[in-house]
Amino acid sequence: MIVWNSACRSARLSTRPLTVRRCLSQRTLDRLTDPVQSYISTSRDPYLNLSIEHFLLQQSAPESVVLLLYVNRPSIIIGRNQNPWLEVNLALLDPSSHDQSYSEPPGLGAVDLVRRRSGGGTVFHDEGNVNWTVICPSKDFTRDQHAEMVVRALRDCGIDRARVNVRHDIVLDQGQHSLTIGSDDTHSTPYQTPEADARKPLKVSGSAYKLTRQRALHHGTCLLSSPNLNIIPHYLHSPAKPYMTARGVESVSSPVGNILLSNERFIASVQKQFGKLYRSIGDAQEVGDEWQEHDSVRKGCDELKSPEWTYLQTPQFSISNQSDTLTDVDLELSVRNGVISSGFCGTRKSGYSGAARTGLPAGLDGRRLHDISSWDDELGGSLPSVSHDRVTRLCKWLHMMLPPPIGRPNTHFR
Amino acid sequence: MSFSPNTLLRALRTSKASSRTRVSFPQPLFYRQLHASSRLDVVKPFLLADIGEGITECQLIQWFVQPGARVEQFDKLCEVQSDKASVEITSPFDGVIKKLHYEPDDMAITGKPLVDIDIQSEISGADAEKLGGVDGNEDAGAEKDQAEESVRHDEKLAEVASEVDVAYSEAMTKGSQGQARQHRPRQGREDKGSLATPAVRHLLKETHVDVADVQGTGRDGRVLKEDVHRHVSEQTQQPVAHQPSRAATRQDKNAPLTPVQTQMFKTMTRSLDIPHFLYTCAADMGAITALRKRLNASATSGEQKLTHLPFILKAVSLALQHHPLLNSSLDTKDPKKPEITYRGAHNFGVAIDAPSGLLVPVVHSVQDLSIVEIATQLRQLSDKARNSKLAPTDFSGATFTISNIGSVGGGVVAPVITAPQVAILGVGRSKLVPAFDENEELVKKEELVLSWSADHRIVDGAECARCAERVRAFLEEPGRMMVEMR
Repeated sequence: MIVWNSACRSARLSTRPLTVRRCLSQRTLDRLTDPVQSYISTSRDPYLNLSIEHFLLQQSAPESVVLLLYVNRPSIIIGRNQNPWLEVNLALLDPSSHDQSYSEPPGLGAVDLVRRRSGGGTVFHDEGNVNWTVICPSKDFTRDQHAEMVVRALRDCGIDRARVNVRHDIVLDQGQHSLTIGSDDTHSTPYQTPEADARKPLKVSGSAYKLTRQRALHHGTCLLSSPNLNIIPHYLHSPAKPYMTARGVESVSSPVGNILLSNERFIASVQKQFGKLYRSIGDAQEVGDEWQEHDSVRKGCDELKSPEWTYLQTPQFSISNQSDTLTDVDLELSVRNGVISSGFCGTRKSGYSGAARTGLPAGLDGRRLHDISSWDDELGGSLPSVSHDRVTRLCKWLHMMLPPPIGRPNTHFR
Repeated sequence: MSFSPNTLLRALRTSKASSRTRVSFPQPLFYRQLHASSRLDVVKPFLLADIGEGITECQLIQWFVQPGARVEQFDKLCEVQSDKASVEITSPFDGVIKKLHYEPDDMAITGKPLVDIDIQSEISGADAEKLGGVDGNEDAGAEKDQAEESVRHDEKLAEVASEVDVAYSEAMTKGSQGQARQHRPRQGREDKGSLATPAVRHLLKETHVDVADVQGTGRDGRVLKEDVHRHVSEQTQQPVAHQPSRAATRQDKNAPLTPVQTQMFKTMTRSLDIPHFLYTCAADMGAITALRKRLNASATSGEQKLTHLPFILKAVSLALQHHPLLNSSLDTKDPKKPEITYRGAHNFGVAIDAPSGLLVPVVHSVQDLSIVEIATQLRQLSDKARNSKLAPTDFSGATFTISNIGSVGGGVVAPVITAPQVAILGVGRSKLVPAFDENEELVKKEELVLSWSADHRIVDGAECARCAERVRAFLEEPGRMMVEMR
């Protein structure tokens, strides 16, 4: 936690680009003061891309407007204040731990889990999804204006079913073309039908925001041609969800679809609309792995990769198996800041009298949930009054609900 | 500063938790302590401002300060999260933090105190509004009284340019009093932020029930499984077809309220307390129309064309000089001692039909504006509304509302008064009707119906009728307006 605090403090102090850098060129730094900046990332690393995005948020000139476009390798990005155990099927992230039926060709292999710094829900990124970010001064910010910009970009490519909905997401209407004359209104299309049709619009882009005193960051996804649409629901459905009570923002799930447009066409169109909106003709600057060398970007990357950030930023939640009739040893755990803070254990057969319920097994109290790699090891010896079979079943349940996370992200290469 | 039982309990829990966690685990870096501040006149609670979009509460993610910390203006205080936005909140003052009102993961409520600051800088009038009262007010929200909801909230319509300027512009109305705020977690949260566990949500999904439809009986209005089952059994049977064919029965569709609808719902629910009466009269717009035609014909290309609305606004303003009761505010916070405040300025809310729904931006100080100036302001406001660029200041301070439904159509309407105003004027569509002139000959007349609603708790029919007739007289003979203008 100390790490984050100093990262925040240094961000506050530096309102202008620092003059001492290691590997970013002076030209790059000067660019941060340009009134309109456009960047495109060559990296597929989600940690790096998000860190570059954060760096641009903090270091770009307060009155400037910045566009960043990037594509990530397959990864799951959870919101700032979300709960990975609740939102994600963590067992699937490690390809060696589950059977092959979940990975259709091409096999997804390892999938990164990243907690981003902006709010909102959980999304799945892969090479068929392009992420766009716009950073602008806070006082000019509205939630719709850049979503509208992206819709105009899509319509320029012939996707006239796209529009911005009331949640500031971008959807494709599925109805039939009505005879009303099309308008330039980015919030409606001729394919909308007012009746309660069975065809709900498909969501193709979700947005999230991070707002600081002077700068507002709006970023969104755009599903262009993801090959993984039918496996994504497996990743984003956690088996533990029915057993958890949690605080924090939950994802609102919507039916999604591909726009079916190439990344290059989309990127070019967005850059053009951005240029038109802010009256600038400049070229997009490439950013990529060389930015890892930069201190502040690297620190940001390290923070995003750290298990502390990923798991300990989880708001309070509790998990209880009491509603699961197949288990006969009751267990409830309360987890605060990713650390087991309280709970109890008890056997059902003896009812809920106080004597049958014991407190948490000693080894669990105060443990970081993501540090637990084997529930058998933790609980094996600590429930002497309970038969071995029952303990094994309980551990199996726990293993399914709270699987041990995969190894450090940077051990997976793509 | 007095300690309510809630504060004490929270403090006890905190100290117990922190003493346990301090020993061996990573802990929240900052935790709350209780202080008794000795100088009541210096320490003030700093309120969580509205971050737009109709959001009434957000979750506190982390603190960047702790009690005792010295802060300068623009230092980060905390990070909060609401649906999709994570927002950094900075301090508008220099000072010393005295008390944190929330722990991480708590839901912080808009308009309620966030931290107490011992202010050690000069504070401007605008800054002073970001602060609460000295004591009693911060925890006064224990009993939820719908009538106590802050006036400020009326004007924060959601679908407008969300000014998430956390430096807090003069968005807060001067009239806002107290921080007691209705906290209804389920009302109109379009992201379904209602309280319900994931298990209950699963059940809701299975039974195709919208969480906003179910009355929660759990703690904090939480929706429980029993509530869902009860709701389902109360409903008449509906076919739950998963693949309806086009020729099959029409399906009902549940939908959450849009931000504008949410705001409208809240405002109009408050208006239910007002006993409305309706008074209509029809004005002959012949003179105004002729005048407009002449002026518009000779207008240069730079000047804008005039519609009848600026004339009506000015006529009402002139009439209100004679009938100030209709421009007053009624304060019913204490039902036993209602208070009328006669408002000096004529700030007219003008209802606009924007793409996102009904918006009511305000034209300020109509009594000081000429008709041309009013027309310019109206034009600017409707442009801003079309481009979703209206700021919270554009909605604040209305003392009287005019709803020109005539742009769409209509004759007699029964408009709904927005609390704490006491009257509203609905303008229909002018149409040509046959009438008799003074020689009893049949002539064409352009008639416009004006529909007045007033709060019968303080306005009687005769007073409203007199004002209405005066406005009619102004419109039928514009010369009368001219002789009353200053």
